[in-house]
Amino acid sequence: MLSASRSACAFLVFLAFTGSGHAQQSQQVFPLPEGAYPHDVAPAPDGKVWYSAQRNGALGILDPSTGQSREIKLGPKSAPHGVVQGPDGAAWLTDGGQNAIVRVDPQTEKVQVWKLPEDTGYTNLNTAVFDKDGMHWFTGQNGYYGRLDPKSGDMKVWKAPRGRGPYGITATPEGDVYYASLAGNHIARIDKVTGEATVIEPPTKGQGARRVWSDSKGRIWVSEWSAGQLGLYDPKTRAWREWKLPGDKPQAYAVYVDDNDIVWVSDWGADAIVSFDPATERFTSYPMSQADANVRQILGRPGEVWLPESGADRLMVIRTARQSQ
Amino acid sequence: MIRHLVAGVALLPGITVMDAHADGDPARGEKVFQYCYSCHSVQPGETNLQGPNLQGIVGRRIASQEGFTYSPALRAFAQQEERWSKELLDRYLAAPYKVIPKTSMAFPGVEASDERADLIAYLRMTGAPD
Repeated sequence: MLSASRSACAFLVFLAFTGSGHAQQSQQVFPLPEGAYPHDVAPAPDGKVWYSAQRNGALGILDPSTGQSREIKLGPKSAPHGVVQGPDGAAWLTDGGQNAIVRVDPQTEKVQVWKLPEDTGYTNLNTAVFDKDGMHWFTGQNGYYGRLDPKSGDMKVWKAPRGRGPYGITATPEGDVYYASLAGNHIARIDKVTGEATVIEPPTKGQGARRVWSDSKGRIWVSEWSAGQLGLYDPKTRAWREWKLPGDKPQAYAVYVDDNDIVWVSDWGADAIVSFDPATERFTSYPMSQADANVRQILGRPGEVWLPESGADRLMVIRTARQSQ
Repeated sequence: MIRHLVAGVALLPGITVMDAHADGDPARGEKVFQYCYSCHSVQPGETNLQGPNLQGIVGRRIASQEGFTYSPALRAFAQQEERWSKELLDRYLAAPYKVIPKTSMAFPGVEASDERADLIAYLRMTGAPD
Protein backbone atom coordinates (compact mmCIF):
# COMPACT_ATOMS: atom_id res chain seq x y z
CA MET A 1 0.00 0.00 0.00
CA LEU A 2 1.23 3.47 -0.74
CA SER A 3 2.20 5.55 2.24
CA ALA A 4 0.32 8.77 2.90
CA SER A 5 3.21 10.90 1.74
CA ARG A 6 3.57 8.90 -1.43
CA SER A 7 -0.14 9.09 -2.12
CA ALA A 8 -0.05 12.79 -1.54
CA CYS A 9 2.26 13.38 -4.45
CA ALA A 10 0.85 10.62 -6.62
CA PHE A 11 -0.92 13.13 -8.77
CA LEU A 12 1.71 15.78 -8.80
CA VAL A 13 1.32 17.59 -12.07
CA PHE A 14 3.39 20.43 -13.32
CA LEU A 15 3.91 22.18 -16.57
CA ALA A 16 7.06 22.67 -18.50
CA PHE A 17 7.38 25.06 -21.38
CA THR A 18 9.32 23.98 -24.36
CA GLY A 19 12.17 26.01 -25.77
CA SER A 20 10.36 26.51 -29.03
CA GLY A 21 7.60 28.27 -27.15
CA HIS A 22 4.70 26.87 -29.13
CA ALA A 23 3.90 23.76 -27.19
CA GLN A 24 3.13 23.05 -23.58
CA GLN A 25 3.73 19.68 -21.94
CA SER A 26 2.50 18.41 -18.62
CA GLN A 27 4.49 16.04 -16.48
CA GLN A 28 2.97 13.75 -13.88
CA VAL A 29 4.76 11.58 -11.36
CA PHE A 30 3.50 8.29 -9.91
CA PRO A 31 5.26 6.94 -6.81
CA LEU A 32 5.68 3.17 -6.72
CA PRO A 33 6.20 0.92 -3.71
CA GLU A 34 9.61 1.43 -2.13
CA GLY A 35 12.19 -0.81 -3.77
CA ALA A 36 10.16 -1.27 -6.96
CA TYR A 37 13.16 -0.11 -8.98
CA PRO A 38 11.39 0.21 -12.34
CA HIS A 39 14.00 -0.58 -14.97
CA ASP A 40 11.83 -0.45 -18.08
CA VAL A 41 8.27 0.62 -18.74
CA ALA A 42 5.60 -0.26 -21.30
CA PRO A 43 2.11 1.04 -21.95
CA ALA A 44 -0.41 -1.72 -21.27
CA PRO A 45 -4.00 -2.34 -22.33
CA ASP A 46 -6.85 -0.42 -20.70
CA GLY A 47 -4.69 2.64 -20.05
CA LYS A 48 -2.50 0.85 -17.53
CA VAL A 49 1.29 0.88 -17.54
CA TRP A 50 3.68 -2.00 -16.88
CA TYR A 51 7.15 -1.78 -15.44
CA SER A 52 9.87 -4.35 -14.89
CA ALA A 53 10.51 -4.47 -11.15
CA GLN A 54 14.03 -5.77 -11.53
CA ARG A 55 14.95 -6.05 -7.86
CA ASN A 56 11.59 -7.54 -6.87
CA GLY A 57 11.54 -10.13 -9.65
CA ALA A 58 8.14 -8.94 -10.73
CA LEU A 59 5.97 -7.31 -13.34
CA GLY A 60 4.61 -4.05 -11.98
CA ILE A 61 1.22 -2.72 -13.00
CA LEU A 62 0.31 0.94 -12.53
CA ASP A 63 -3.20 2.27 -12.99
CA PRO A 64 -2.64 5.96 -13.80
CA SER A 65 -6.29 6.75 -13.16
CA THR A 66 -5.93 5.88 -9.47
CA GLY A 67 -2.17 6.04 -8.94
CA GLN A 68 -2.28 2.56 -7.43
CA SER A 69 0.22 -0.11 -8.38
CA ARG A 70 0.86 -3.76 -7.66
CA GLU A 71 3.29 -6.45 -8.71
CA ILE A 72 3.11 -10.01 -10.06
CA LYS A 73 6.03 -12.25 -9.13
CA LEU A 74 7.70 -13.94 -12.09
CA GLY A 75 9.52 -16.87 -10.50
CA PRO A 76 12.60 -17.91 -8.54
CA LYS A 77 15.71 -15.78 -9.18
CA SER A 78 13.71 -13.48 -11.43
CA ALA A 79 15.29 -10.12 -12.26
CA PRO A 80 13.54 -8.69 -15.31
CA HIS A 81 15.36 -6.03 -17.30
CA GLY A 82 12.85 -5.19 -20.01
CA VAL A 83 9.14 -5.33 -20.64
CA VAL A 84 7.13 -4.75 -23.81
CA GLN A 85 3.55 -5.32 -24.86
CA GLY A 86 3.12 -8.08 -27.42
CA PRO A 87 0.63 -8.10 -30.27
CA ASP A 88 -1.38 -10.49 -28.10
CA GLY A 89 -1.80 -7.76 -25.47
CA ALA A 90 0.37 -9.63 -22.98
CA ALA A 91 3.45 -8.42 -21.12
CA TRP A 92 6.70 -9.94 -22.38
CA LEU A 93 9.73 -9.62 -20.16
CA THR A 94 13.42 -10.24 -20.74
CA ASP A 95 14.30 -11.83 -17.42
CA GLY A 96 18.03 -11.88 -16.82
CA GLY A 97 17.70 -13.63 -13.46
CA GLN A 98 15.82 -16.56 -14.93
CA ASN A 99 17.75 -16.38 -18.23
CA ALA A 100 14.35 -16.64 -19.83
CA ILE A 101 11.67 -14.86 -21.80
CA VAL A 102 8.59 -14.48 -19.62
CA ARG A 103 5.00 -13.79 -20.67
CA VAL A 104 2.30 -12.56 -18.31
CA ASP A 105 -1.30 -12.75 -19.44
CA PRO A 106 -3.05 -9.55 -18.32
CA GLN A 107 -6.40 -11.31 -17.94
CA THR A 108 -5.48 -14.50 -16.11
CA GLU A 109 -2.09 -13.29 -14.80
CA LYS A 110 -0.68 -16.67 -15.80
CA VAL A 111 3.12 -16.57 -16.03
CA GLN A 112 4.79 -18.52 -18.85
CA VAL A 113 8.56 -19.01 -18.99
CA TRP A 114 10.76 -19.88 -21.99
CA LYS A 115 14.26 -20.68 -20.75
CA LEU A 116 17.16 -19.98 -23.07
CA PRO A 117 19.11 -23.03 -24.27
CA GLU A 118 21.46 -24.45 -21.66
CA ASP A 119 24.51 -24.07 -23.87
CA THR A 120 24.26 -20.28 -23.94
CA GLY A 121 24.90 -20.00 -20.22
CA TYR A 122 23.99 -16.73 -18.54
CA THR A 123 23.22 -14.30 -21.36
CA ASN A 124 22.26 -11.26 -19.28
CA LEU A 125 19.00 -10.76 -21.13
CA ASN A 126 18.37 -7.14 -21.86
CA THR A 127 15.59 -5.87 -24.12
CA ALA A 128 13.06 -7.21 -26.61
CA VAL A 129 10.87 -6.03 -29.45
CA PHE A 130 8.20 -7.54 -31.67
CA ASP A 131 8.53 -7.14 -35.42
CA LYS A 132 5.54 -6.53 -37.68
CA ASP A 133 5.08 -10.27 -38.16
CA GLY A 134 4.72 -10.87 -34.44
CA MET A 135 8.13 -12.44 -33.88
CA HIS A 136 9.84 -11.64 -30.59
CA TRP A 137 13.48 -10.52 -30.87
CA PHE A 138 15.73 -10.04 -27.87
CA THR A 139 19.25 -9.15 -26.82
CA GLY A 140 21.59 -10.63 -24.21
CA GLN A 141 24.27 -8.26 -23.06
CA ASN A 142 26.86 -10.99 -22.63
CA GLY A 143 27.04 -11.25 -26.41
CA TYR A 144 23.82 -12.78 -27.72
CA TYR A 145 20.67 -11.98 -29.61
CA GLY A 146 17.77 -14.26 -30.33
CA ARG A 147 14.29 -14.85 -31.58
CA LEU A 148 11.25 -16.50 -30.04
CA ASP A 149 8.23 -17.51 -32.08
CA PRO A 150 5.40 -16.88 -29.61
CA LYS A 151 3.07 -19.26 -31.42
CA SER A 152 5.29 -22.33 -31.63
CA GLY A 153 7.67 -21.57 -28.79
CA ASP A 154 10.61 -22.16 -31.13
CA MET A 155 13.63 -20.21 -29.96
CA LYS A 156 16.89 -19.48 -31.72
CA VAL A 157 19.90 -17.76 -30.16
CA TRP A 158 22.95 -16.42 -31.99
CA LYS A 159 26.31 -15.18 -30.79
CA ALA A 160 26.69 -11.51 -31.55
CA PRO A 161 29.51 -10.29 -33.75
CA ARG A 162 32.22 -8.73 -31.55
CA GLY A 163 30.86 -10.40 -28.42
CA ARG A 164 29.46 -8.63 -25.40
CA GLY A 165 27.34 -5.54 -25.71
CA PRO A 166 23.89 -6.19 -27.28
CA TYR A 167 21.50 -3.85 -25.46
CA GLY A 168 18.54 -1.93 -26.91
CA ILE A 169 16.60 -3.30 -29.88
CA THR A 170 14.02 -1.91 -32.28
CA ALA A 171 11.88 -2.87 -35.25
CA THR A 172 11.18 -0.55 -38.15
CA PRO A 173 7.73 -0.12 -39.70
CA GLU A 174 9.00 -2.20 -42.64
CA GLY A 175 9.86 -5.01 -40.23
CA ASP A 176 13.64 -4.77 -40.07
CA VAL A 177 15.27 -5.36 -36.68
CA TYR A 178 18.28 -3.46 -35.36
CA TYR A 179 20.03 -3.64 -32.01
CA ALA A 180 22.65 -1.50 -30.31
CA SER A 181 25.87 -2.88 -28.85
CA LEU A 182 26.95 -0.82 -25.87
CA ALA A 183 30.31 -2.48 -25.30
CA GLY A 184 30.78 -3.06 -29.02
CA ASN A 185 30.19 0.58 -29.98
CA HIS A 186 28.00 -0.18 -32.96
CA ILE A 187 24.50 -0.97 -34.09
CA ALA A 188 23.65 -4.09 -36.04
CA ARG A 189 20.94 -5.14 -38.45
CA ILE A 190 19.64 -8.69 -38.11
CA ASP A 191 18.91 -10.64 -41.25
CA LYS A 192 15.68 -12.28 -40.15
CA VAL A 193 16.07 -15.17 -42.59
CA THR A 194 19.63 -16.23 -41.82
CA GLY A 195 19.88 -14.73 -38.35
CA GLU A 196 23.16 -13.06 -39.27
CA ALA A 197 23.84 -9.65 -37.74
CA THR A 198 25.63 -7.02 -39.80
CA VAL A 199 27.64 -4.45 -37.87
CA ILE A 200 27.03 -0.78 -38.69
CA GLU A 201 29.49 1.63 -37.09
CA PRO A 202 28.58 5.19 -36.07
CA PRO A 203 31.07 7.89 -37.06
CA THR A 204 32.18 8.56 -33.47
CA LYS A 205 34.57 5.92 -32.16
CA GLY A 206 33.84 4.52 -28.72
CA GLN A 207 30.46 6.22 -28.65
CA GLY A 208 28.71 3.51 -26.57
CA ALA A 209 25.57 2.91 -28.64
CA ARG A 210 23.17 1.95 -25.89
CA ARG A 211 19.61 1.94 -27.19
CA VAL A 212 17.97 2.32 -30.59
CA TRP A 213 14.53 3.27 -31.82
CA SER A 214 13.00 3.59 -35.27
CA ASP A 215 11.01 6.59 -36.44
CA SER A 216 8.04 6.33 -38.79
CA LYS A 217 10.35 6.42 -41.82
CA GLY A 218 12.47 3.49 -40.66
CA ARG A 219 15.40 5.68 -39.68
CA ILE A 220 17.31 4.45 -36.63
CA TRP A 221 17.92 6.82 -33.72
CA VAL A 222 20.71 5.88 -31.34
CA SER A 223 21.51 7.02 -27.79
CA GLU A 224 25.29 7.21 -27.60
CA TRP A 225 26.07 6.85 -23.91
CA SER A 226 29.79 7.40 -23.84
CA ALA A 227 29.79 10.22 -26.35
CA GLY A 228 26.70 11.95 -24.91
CA GLN A 229 25.25 12.16 -28.38
CA LEU A 230 22.10 11.38 -30.30
CA GLY A 231 22.82 9.47 -33.49
CA LEU A 232 20.73 8.94 -36.59
CA TYR A 233 21.28 6.22 -39.19
CA ASP A 234 19.30 6.20 -42.41
CA PRO A 235 19.31 2.66 -43.85
CA LYS A 236 18.21 3.93 -47.25
CA THR A 237 21.24 6.18 -47.74
CA ARG A 238 23.51 4.52 -45.15
CA ALA A 239 24.24 8.04 -43.91
CA TRP A 240 24.85 9.03 -40.31
CA ARG A 241 24.28 12.23 -38.38
CA GLU A 242 25.10 12.90 -34.74
CA TRP A 243 24.15 15.67 -32.32
CA LYS A 244 25.77 16.41 -28.96
CA LEU A 245 23.22 16.70 -26.17
CA PRO A 246 23.08 20.01 -24.26
CA GLY A 247 25.14 20.43 -21.10
CA ASP A 248 28.69 19.87 -19.96
CA LYS A 249 28.84 16.10 -19.55
CA PRO A 250 25.81 14.52 -21.22
CA GLN A 251 25.28 10.76 -21.00
CA ALA A 252 22.61 9.56 -23.42
CA TYR A 253 21.05 6.42 -21.95
CA ALA A 254 17.62 5.76 -23.49
CA VAL A 255 16.04 6.84 -26.77
CA TYR A 256 12.46 6.69 -28.01
CA VAL A 257 10.62 8.23 -30.93
CA ASP A 258 7.02 9.27 -30.29
CA ASP A 259 4.01 9.23 -32.58
CA ASN A 260 4.95 12.66 -33.96
CA ASP A 261 8.51 11.58 -34.72
CA ILE A 262 9.85 13.67 -31.86
CA VAL A 263 12.89 11.97 -30.36
CA TRP A 264 13.21 11.59 -26.58
CA VAL A 265 16.49 10.91 -24.80
CA SER A 266 17.31 10.44 -21.12
CA ASP A 267 20.46 12.29 -20.10
CA TRP A 268 22.06 11.04 -16.89
CA GLY A 269 24.65 13.78 -16.98
CA ALA A 270 21.99 16.45 -16.59
CA ASP A 271 19.36 14.44 -14.69
CA ALA A 272 16.96 15.35 -17.45
CA ILE A 273 14.91 14.18 -20.37
CA VAL A 274 15.49 15.98 -23.62
CA SER A 275 13.26 15.98 -26.64
CA PHE A 276 14.69 16.60 -30.09
CA ASP A 277 12.72 17.92 -33.00
CA PRO A 278 14.34 16.66 -36.22
CA ALA A 279 12.70 19.48 -38.19
CA THR A 280 14.34 22.26 -36.19
CA GLU A 281 17.25 20.22 -34.77
CA ARG A 282 16.57 21.80 -31.38
CA PHE A 283 16.68 20.13 -27.99
CA THR A 284 14.21 20.89 -25.20
CA SER A 285 15.02 19.81 -21.66
CA TYR A 286 12.65 18.53 -18.98
CA PRO A 287 13.71 17.95 -15.38
CA MET A 288 13.26 14.62 -13.65
CA SER A 289 11.40 14.46 -10.36
CA GLN A 290 14.61 14.25 -8.32
CA ALA A 291 18.36 13.98 -8.71
CA ASP A 292 19.78 10.66 -9.90
CA ALA A 293 16.38 9.48 -11.09
CA ASN A 294 18.26 7.31 -13.62
CA VAL A 295 15.83 6.79 -16.47
CA ARG A 296 17.03 3.65 -18.26
CA GLN A 297 14.39 3.32 -20.95
CA ILE A 298 11.54 5.26 -22.53
CA LEU A 299 8.36 4.07 -24.19
CA GLY A 300 5.02 5.62 -24.96
CA ARG A 301 1.73 5.66 -26.76
CA PRO A 302 0.08 8.49 -28.68
CA GLY A 303 0.18 11.62 -26.53
CA GLU A 304 2.14 10.00 -23.69
CA VAL A 305 5.84 9.47 -23.10
CA TRP A 306 6.53 7.19 -20.11
CA LEU A 307 9.73 7.33 -18.11
CA PRO A 308 10.77 4.84 -15.42
CA GLU A 309 12.74 6.62 -12.70
CA SER A 310 14.68 3.62 -11.46
CA GLY A 311 16.60 5.68 -8.92
CA ALA A 312 13.47 7.20 -7.42
CA ASP A 313 10.94 4.33 -7.47
CA ARG A 314 8.63 6.45 -9.60
CA LEU A 315 7.14 6.54 -13.06
CA MET A 316 6.80 9.83 -14.88
CA VAL A 317 4.64 10.60 -17.86
CA ILE A 318 5.00 13.57 -20.17
CA ARG A 319 1.77 14.30 -21.95
CA THR A 320 2.59 15.87 -25.25
CA ALA A 321 0.45 18.74 -26.41
CA ARG A 322 1.34 18.46 -30.05
CA GLN A 323 -1.31 17.35 -32.45
CA SER A 324 -0.58 14.79 -35.11
CA GLN A 325 0.34 16.44 -38.38
CA MET B 1 43.17 -21.31 -17.50
CA ILE B 2 41.82 -20.85 -14.01
CA ARG B 3 42.09 -24.55 -13.24
CA HIS B 4 45.77 -24.40 -14.15
CA LEU B 5 46.24 -21.45 -11.84
CA VAL B 6 44.56 -23.32 -9.01
CA ALA B 7 46.78 -26.30 -9.59
CA GLY B 8 49.79 -24.00 -9.49
CA VAL B 9 48.68 -22.42 -6.26
CA ALA B 10 48.32 -25.84 -4.69
CA LEU B 11 52.03 -26.48 -5.26
CA LEU B 12 53.15 -23.43 -3.35
CA PRO B 13 54.40 -24.08 0.18
CA GLY B 14 51.75 -23.58 2.82
CA ILE B 15 48.91 -23.10 0.38
CA THR B 16 46.56 -25.95 -0.32
CA VAL B 17 43.62 -26.50 -2.59
CA MET B 18 41.51 -27.02 0.53
CA ASP B 19 42.34 -23.48 1.65
CA ALA B 20 41.30 -22.14 -1.72
CA HIS B 21 37.98 -23.93 -1.52
CA ALA B 22 37.33 -22.73 2.04
CA ASP B 23 37.54 -19.21 0.65
CA GLY B 24 35.65 -20.05 -2.49
CA ASP B 25 36.57 -21.78 -5.71
CA PRO B 26 37.99 -19.46 -8.37
CA ALA B 27 37.20 -21.89 -11.15
CA ARG B 28 33.55 -21.80 -10.23
CA GLY B 29 33.92 -18.09 -9.64
CA GLU B 30 34.91 -17.55 -13.24
CA LYS B 31 31.46 -18.83 -14.20
CA VAL B 32 29.79 -16.62 -11.60
CA PHE B 33 31.67 -13.71 -13.15
CA GLN B 34 29.34 -14.07 -16.14
CA TYR B 35 26.91 -11.97 -14.08
CA CYS B 36 29.46 -9.14 -14.27
CA TYR B 37 30.98 -9.84 -17.67
CA SER B 38 28.90 -7.52 -19.81
CA CYS B 39 30.02 -4.41 -17.93
CA HIS B 40 33.29 -5.36 -16.23
CA SER B 41 36.63 -6.74 -17.35
CA VAL B 42 39.43 -8.33 -15.38
CA GLN B 43 41.89 -7.96 -18.23
CA PRO B 44 44.59 -5.45 -17.34
CA GLY B 45 44.09 -2.17 -19.13
CA GLU B 46 40.66 -2.99 -20.54
CA THR B 47 38.81 0.09 -19.37
CA ASN B 48 36.35 0.74 -22.18
CA LEU B 49 33.33 -0.97 -20.61
CA GLN B 50 30.46 0.55 -18.66
CA GLY B 51 31.75 -0.56 -15.28
CA PRO B 52 35.22 -0.18 -13.82
CA ASN B 53 37.89 -2.80 -14.43
CA LEU B 54 37.84 -5.37 -11.62
CA GLN B 55 41.37 -6.69 -11.93
CA GLY B 56 42.80 -6.47 -8.42
CA ILE B 57 39.55 -5.20 -6.97
CA VAL B 58 39.89 -7.17 -3.71
CA GLY B 59 41.74 -4.81 -1.40
CA ARG B 60 41.66 -1.92 -3.85
CA ARG B 61 40.65 1.58 -2.77
CA ILE B 62 36.98 2.19 -3.47
CA ALA B 63 36.17 4.29 -6.54
CA SER B 64 39.83 4.57 -7.44
CA GLN B 65 40.08 3.70 -11.12
CA GLU B 66 41.66 6.67 -12.79
CA GLY B 67 39.48 8.24 -15.44
CA PHE B 68 36.33 6.32 -14.56
CA THR B 69 33.19 8.35 -13.84
CA TYR B 70 31.76 6.82 -10.65
CA SER B 71 28.24 7.62 -9.50
CA PRO B 72 27.86 10.25 -6.77
CA ALA B 73 26.68 7.47 -4.47
CA LEU B 74 29.83 5.42 -4.93
CA ARG B 75 32.05 8.46 -4.50
CA ALA B 76 30.25 9.24 -1.25
CA PHE B 77 30.62 5.62 -0.15
CA ALA B 78 34.36 5.90 -0.71
CA GLN B 79 34.40 8.59 1.96
CA GLN B 80 32.97 6.12 4.47
CA GLU B 81 34.84 2.95 3.54
CA GLU B 82 38.42 2.93 2.35
CA ARG B 83 38.92 -0.35 0.53
CA TRP B 84 37.04 -3.29 -0.97
CA SER B 85 37.80 -5.92 1.66
CA LYS B 86 36.55 -9.46 1.10
CA GLU B 87 33.91 -8.93 3.74
CA LEU B 88 32.70 -5.66 2.27
CA LEU B 89 32.62 -7.11 -1.24
CA ASP B 90 30.58 -10.04 0.05
CA ARG B 91 27.99 -7.72 1.55
CA TYR B 92 27.96 -5.54 -1.55
CA LEU B 93 27.63 -8.40 -4.01
CA ALA B 94 24.71 -9.87 -2.05
CA ALA B 95 22.60 -6.77 -2.71
CA PRO B 96 24.54 -3.78 -4.05
CA TYR B 97 21.63 -1.39 -3.61
CA LYS B 98 21.36 -2.19 0.09
CA VAL B 99 24.99 -1.27 0.75
CA ILE B 100 24.97 1.72 -1.61
CA PRO B 101 21.29 2.64 -2.04
CA LYS B 102 21.78 5.04 -4.95
CA THR B 103 24.30 2.98 -6.86
CA SER B 104 23.80 3.26 -10.59
CA MET B 105 24.62 -0.44 -11.03
CA ALA B 106 21.32 -2.11 -11.83
CA PHE B 107 22.50 -5.65 -11.09
CA PRO B 108 20.37 -6.92 -8.17
CA GLY B 109 23.07 -9.10 -6.62
CA VAL B 110 24.26 -12.66 -6.10
CA GLU B 111 21.96 -14.29 -3.60
CA ALA B 112 23.89 -17.51 -2.86
CA SER B 113 26.74 -17.04 -0.39
CA ASP B 114 28.81 -19.84 -1.92
CA GLU B 115 28.56 -18.18 -5.33
CA ARG B 116 29.74 -14.90 -3.83
CA ALA B 117 32.67 -16.68 -2.19
CA ASP B 118 33.57 -18.27 -5.51
CA LEU B 119 33.34 -14.94 -7.29
CA ILE B 120 35.53 -13.19 -4.74
CA ALA B 121 38.05 -16.03 -4.99
CA TYR B 122 38.13 -15.54 -8.74
CA LEU B 123 38.54 -11.79 -8.42
CA ARG B 124 41.39 -12.29 -5.93
CA MET B 125 43.21 -14.37 -8.50
CA THR B 126 43.06 -11.62 -11.07
CA GLY B 127 45.78 -9.74 -9.29
CA ALA B 128 46.79 -7.67 -6.33
CA PRO B 129 45.38 -4.17 -5.85
CA ASP B 130 47.42 -1.23 -7.06
